[in-house]
Amino acid sequence: MSYESPVRDLLVTGGKTYSDITVDITRPIENKPSKAWWIGFAISTVVLAVWIYATTYTMLVGIGAWGLNKTVGWAFDITNFVFWVGIGHAGTLISAVLLLFRQKWRMSINRSAEAMTIFAVICAASFIVSHMGRPWVAYWPIPLPNAFGSLWVNFNSPLVWDVFAISTYFSVSLVFWYVGLIPDIATVRDRATSAVRKFWYGFFAMGWTGSTRTWHRYEMISLILAGISTPLVLSVHSIVSMDFATSLVPGWHTTIFPPYFVAGAIFSGFGMVLTLLVIGREVLNQKHYITVEHLDAMCRVVMVTGTMVGVAYITEFFVAAYSGVEYEQYAFINRATGPYWWAYWTMMSCNLLAPQVFWLRWARTTPWFIFMMSIIVNIGMWFERFVIIVTSLHRDFIPSSWTMYTPTLTEISILIGSFGLFFFLYFLFCRYLPTINMAELKSIVLTPHAKELQEKYTNMLEKGPVKQGEKAEKGELTHGH
Amino acid sequence: MENNNKYWKGLEELNNDAAFAARKKNEFAEGIPLEEVLSESDGDLSSTRRDFLKYFGFSISAVALAACNTAPVKNAIPYIVKPENITPGIPNWYATTCGACASGCSILVKTREGRPVKIEGSDNANAFNKGGVCATGHASLLGLYDNERLRAPKSGNADATWDAVDKDIKGSLASAKNIRLITSTINSPTTKKAISEFTAKYQSTKTITYEAVSYNGLIEANKQAFGKAVVPSYKFDKAQVIVSFGADFLGTWISPVEFTKQWVSNRKAENKAMSRHIQFESNLSLTGSNADMRFPIRPSAEGVVLISLYNKIAALAGAPTLATAGNIELALNAIELTAKELYNAKGNSIVVSGSNNIDNQLLVAAINSMLGNIGTTIDIDNPSNQAGGDDASFETFVNDMNSGSVDAVVFYNTNPAYSYYNAEKFKTGLKKVALSISTNASTDETGELCKYQTPDNHYLESWGDAEPKAGYFALIQPTISNVFTTRQAQTSLLTWAGNTTDYYTYLKQNWVGSVVASESEFNQALHDGFIRKTTAEAKSYSNAAALVGLVNPAYSNYNNAKGKTELKLYQKVAIGDGTHANNPWLQEMPDPISKVCWDNYIAIGKVTADKYKLKDGDVANVKVGNVTIEKLPVLVQPGQANDTVSIAVGYGHSKGKVAVSGKNVYSFANFSNGSFGYMSTDVTIEKASGDYELAQTQTHHTIEGRNLLREASLAEYIKDPKAGNHFHTHIVSLWEEYDYKGHKWGMAIDMNACTGCGACVVSCNAENNVPVVGRKEVIRGREMHWIRIDRYFSFKDSKGEVTTKEKELAKKGDDVNYENVRVTYQPMMCQHCGHAPCESVCPVLATVHSSEGLNQMAYNRCVGTRYCANNCPYKVRRFNWFKYRSNDEYDFNMNNDLGRMVINPDVTVRSRGVMEKCSFCVQRIQAGKLKAKIENRIMVDGDVKTACQQSCPADALVFGDMNDKNSEISKLFKNERSYVLLEEYNVQPSVTYLTKVRNVDDVIAGDHAVEHNKEEKHEEKKEEAVEHHS
Repeated sequence: MSYESPVRDLLVTGGKTYSDITVDITRPIENKPSKAWWIGFAISTVVLAVWIYATTYTMLVGIGAWGLNKTVGWAFDITNFVFWVGIGHAGTLISAVLLLFRQKWRMSINRSAEAMTIFAVICAASFIVSHMGRPWVAYWPIPLPNAFGSLWVNFNSPLVWDVFAISTYFSVSLVFWYVGLIPDIATVRDRATSAVRKFWYGFFAMGWTGSTRTWHRYEMISLILAGISTPLVLSVHSIVSMDFATSLVPGWHTTIFPPYFVAGAIFSGFGMVLTLLVIGREVLNQKHYITVEHLDAMCRVVMVTGTMVGVAYITEFFVAAYSGVEYEQYAFINRATGPYWWAYWTMMSCNLLAPQVFWLRWARTTPWFIFMMSIIVNIGMWFERFVIIVTSLHRDFIPSSWTMYTPTLTEISILIGSFGLFFFLYFLFCRYLPTINMAELKSIVLTPHAKELQEKYTNMLEKGPVKQGEKAEKGELTHGH
Repeated sequence: MENNNKYWKGLEELNNDAAFAARKKNEFAEGIPLEEVLSESDGDLSSTRRDFLKYFGFSISAVALAACNTAPVKNAIPYIVKPENITPGIPNWYATTCGACASGCSILVKTREGRPVKIEGSDNANAFNKGGVCATGHASLLGLYDNERLRAPKSGNADATWDAVDKDIKGSLASAKNIRLITSTINSPTTKKAISEFTAKYQSTKTITYEAVSYNGLIEANKQAFGKAVVPSYKFDKAQVIVSFGADFLGTWISPVEFTKQWVSNRKAENKAMSRHIQFESNLSLTGSNADMRFPIRPSAEGVVLISLYNKIAALAGAPTLATAGNIELALNAIELTAKELYNAKGNSIVVSGSNNIDNQLLVAAINSMLGNIGTTIDIDNPSNQAGGDDASFETFVNDMNSGSVDAVVFYNTNPAYSYYNAEKFKTGLKKVALSISTNASTDETGELCKYQTPDNHYLESWGDAEPKAGYFALIQPTISNVFTTRQAQTSLLTWAGNTTDYYTYLKQNWVGSVVASESEFNQALHDGFIRKTTAEAKSYSNAAALVGLVNPAYSNYNNAKGKTELKLYQKVAIGDGTHANNPWLQEMPDPISKVCWDNYIAIGKVTADKYKLKDGDVANVKVGNVTIEKLPVLVQPGQANDTVSIAVGYGHSKGKVAVSGKNVYSFANFSNGSFGYMSTDVTIEKASGDYELAQTQTHHTIEGRNLLREASLAEYIKDPKAGNHFHTHIVSLWEEYDYKGHKWGMAIDMNACTGCGACVVSCNAENNVPVVGRKEVIRGREMHWIRIDRYFSFKDSKGEVTTKEKELAKKGDDVNYENVRVTYQPMMCQHCGHAPCESVCPVLATVHSSEGLNQMAYNRCVGTRYCANNCPYKVRRFNWFKYRSNDEYDFNMNNDLGRMVINPDVTVRSRGVMEKCSFCVQRIQAGKLKAKIENRIMVDGDVKTACQQSCPADALVFGDMNDKNSEISKLFKNERSYVLLEEYNVQPSVTYLTKVRNVDDVIAGDHAVEHNKEEKHEEKKEEAVEHHS
């Protein structure tokens, strides 16, 4: 089925056996949570409480709780929304696109990346609702039959496209993630000792038997979902970018936005995956599964996409200059030299300049450095959205309306709080679900038996080309633990 | 060979029980029978197409039915006994006279179900204000619903009954030996009669006119110069050259609405002639900002500049000049130039001064008399009764109170405890008076100290009359019955004088015979709101006063002030002298010049500010004589004369929830030379610790070189009516244009007429229930006004180059002349774009286009994403950030039952979280349509007037149907001066702007325009081939 390059480095190190994998990955689920987990979870819960408070307060008193004004109608809210949607993209890219391209290194990271996608989209969706002036009618942009005559949504509005894009994205991602989890949940079920665990894991395992038939279905559905998800990687953020691109605000009205936003989304998503995994592999003791090579691969993606957005930033300037439209030109000059110059240059240095260090192999293979860089990428991408939204709005066509925007404590709390929401969910995920796809991982692990076979074939290879790996892997696959 | 060995994979297989057999069957995938399914015909599928349609149809209808909860029905309860003349939903209109100030404009009051809800200018062509109403007039409506009005008379601090109070007062008055009646300017003949009756009963009564901002100097000067102690009638419409020394006649001086109407009638570029308006002043006033030429002077220099001007004109006229005592420095040969202009237009020019200094006013009178303006542009025989002040008498009165010789005092419509410069002395004196009565409507600073408070009615609850100008008799009629147990002051005076006739009868009796011949004529006058009587012929007068004695004081004033910083007190357009300071509409109305609401501040020029190391947001302590006011906010104000600072009066009351904002600076005034003085050269300014942010609705003040303001000089306009307006685009649309078959509403805004006074803003607030949001929210950029007046400054450098870009200004630094700026006003409201960017982005279709070209908001549908506001290139959309009504955080008129009575029932009060904006007064359009329908006719031009347009004192706004070829609006859209903003974006606004034409010698539109013109002509030839061109 697949051609395995014999020169490729091992994706799982440490001579792990199938049993090792099961034991290692289910350890955080089956044992009492570690101190580190408790501390992390406690902090997340506190921050989540801040989010709940600030969001509830906003909904009770009105959007006036934020620093928005007559000129700047969106700022932190939509910045956060786009930021979180963007974060989600790496998960989908890893699980869908890399699956279709048969990139097996994704197997160690796709589970947590997909979880990240789902939690990030939940965070993003919270901003869709909370940014509305009347959140209690948040369902109105959904085309529902109603008793108010010919009342319908405006299919011309990019916000309606958003509703479709985000809801599709969320449901597909959730299903994809859940389907991928079923064999692993079954493994946990089979190992469970308490009745409660047996019941719940059994419930969510949906009667998984591990028969060839279920495996076959599983693989089919994975491929189909990957096929559905792949266009979503491109479409969701393209549509999000159209919130801006289809408007006529100078600095928003830009045809380059869809590809530029997609690149930015992948960039920020990988940034976030790195943030999570650099820590996760340490804390959850998964260094053999998420190896430095994994980090290296992701850093390469970060560098490439970072450079892509950088090129987009520069292209925007060129187009503004070339267009001859004074409003457009002013918008970009104002970005770089106006009152929010610091935001612009934060964005430029974090997104374009900083990732260039990943040309160095040292930078790509040093976890603490990667972690630091991933934070910089996250900051840079948040500022990118802030720059696009706020600097374009605060000085547009009619100078009399020019204003400044300053966030309130409530907005800052909601931004920070959304991380609380995200990590709260993520910590629960680490505690209750296997963070690495055990079943898939077992297909690429080099067991002593497989190693023996591989050596044998490698010797044979010197004499002539032989199809590799079929026997070495297939024989064991159906006997999951 | 057969293999008989049996291999089994596990014990389960060996046993092969039923369970295992079942599992084994499921072990291997069967594959999805896709091909099978696809190849089979319809009939063999387990569910058929018909089934599918059935279930599909059922589900859709089930969902639809489930969603069919009925929309709530709200019932209106009809009157059980319907009052006569009231039909619910149909407004009643009353003609009356505005009582907000002594100008006495004729107005119409709209009442709905017995509540006055809107003030409009009288539509009677003979009204002197010609349909105009100022911001204060509009806002005075809200004064009726001021929650702090007194509910009943008070004796001391306790509520009392009228009978009890009357009995006490009458008793005290009877024994009083020295009674004073302190009033504001009274121009009501019947009030005067009532006062004379009171005086007849209590013979020791002396009536003293006290005005916070007094016109004593003007009156006294006219007395000395022409023998008549009057405020003349001015005719700015007759003047070819207008020279004003600090008189803000378009904003606050005497009768601004009347003067604006006059002024603008002679400023029409289409006539190819405009008056030339020259302003000398210290602070940039509304009038100064509209002048063609403006020369900043120090307040102390007014006298010497006038002397110099007098001499220059005298030289031209061959008349004797005054001896001078030194030279004065004024840039650009300002005086020489002004003298020439005035002399060339002699008999058709006008010189006015806003000073209360008798000497200065004498010089002005002499100049006017020398130019032969008395009798032509200045009418002394038919004076104005709109301003007054008897400063010396009031000064005596305060001294008398302190010496204990006054034993009874009645205050009518005046509040000296707040506005007198030495308030402490006044208060001490007042405490010594045995009987003190305030008739003011609420407990103000004076009322608080009075023994009795006998609250007057609001003018909208009162009968009354006025004679604002000689021969112009106006009536005041009630538009609502008394809201509280108040009684109009005239009735109080009459009651205390022992006359119990009700005031309506008293008024009518006074009129029939003297003003009108019969009761039917009275009724006609009541219907019209006023009656004009024949007036005397305006005669020419010569100055009879000696001027020689004025020279030395003027020069010593000027010389003594050299090198010092001077203070000028001024009135802001909205708040004026502070009488209406408790009115939230006025407090939130942005000052036309500074765009600051809710506060007064030290207006200081940039050069002076740099000297004192002050900047916007700082606070400073100001000391004048021995009075110090601490922590006044600083505003660096372009146009402020160097070495001067200006502070507005009218703020910082100690009473009134809203009126307390700002600081009271009346204590900086003085009494000198027989008049109250509103300037000082003895000023110390020092920066104080702390900062204070002013609430400005506009924080960027230049146009950044954008093609949004189009201007030309008169000479350029005469040469080429399209001067400055050559930039137009021919845009090809991808869509078929909508065919507006019925009406298509549009508006034209003449930037040449608009003075920026802000009357439209308050009118719109009243009409459209626009909430007041308060200082903090304005600072956060959240004022809710549907119409705003953008004000832009342009600066010149020493080479005369005009700069409008922030960065260039910063680069040029001190080379920029911040003292003298050019100001342009641009009213801005929803442009009702044909291709509205807001409409396409709303996810829920809450903002949609009407078949008549209106961009409409369905508040009920709005979910509040604010996308429309972001995408509005004009930034005219306003979001309800909070619930602004019934919310203690926003404790203004919409937070109490009384204040909510002002709400226009035709316009929805918006909930929080929804977007709102100008609707082109859609409710008025609808009313106009219904009226035409009832009268069985088609609509004609002028049937619908928007709230902003109706009472614009400058007639700068025109609204109408663009599909009506003969309508004024259609003509204006074709005017050479017409342009739409951001035309190149093809949003197709329904609002057009007309270029501003200035009567100046400068090149404004410039060669650029001429070149453009050539280009355009050149291109017009081959227009067919050209699609894009700019």
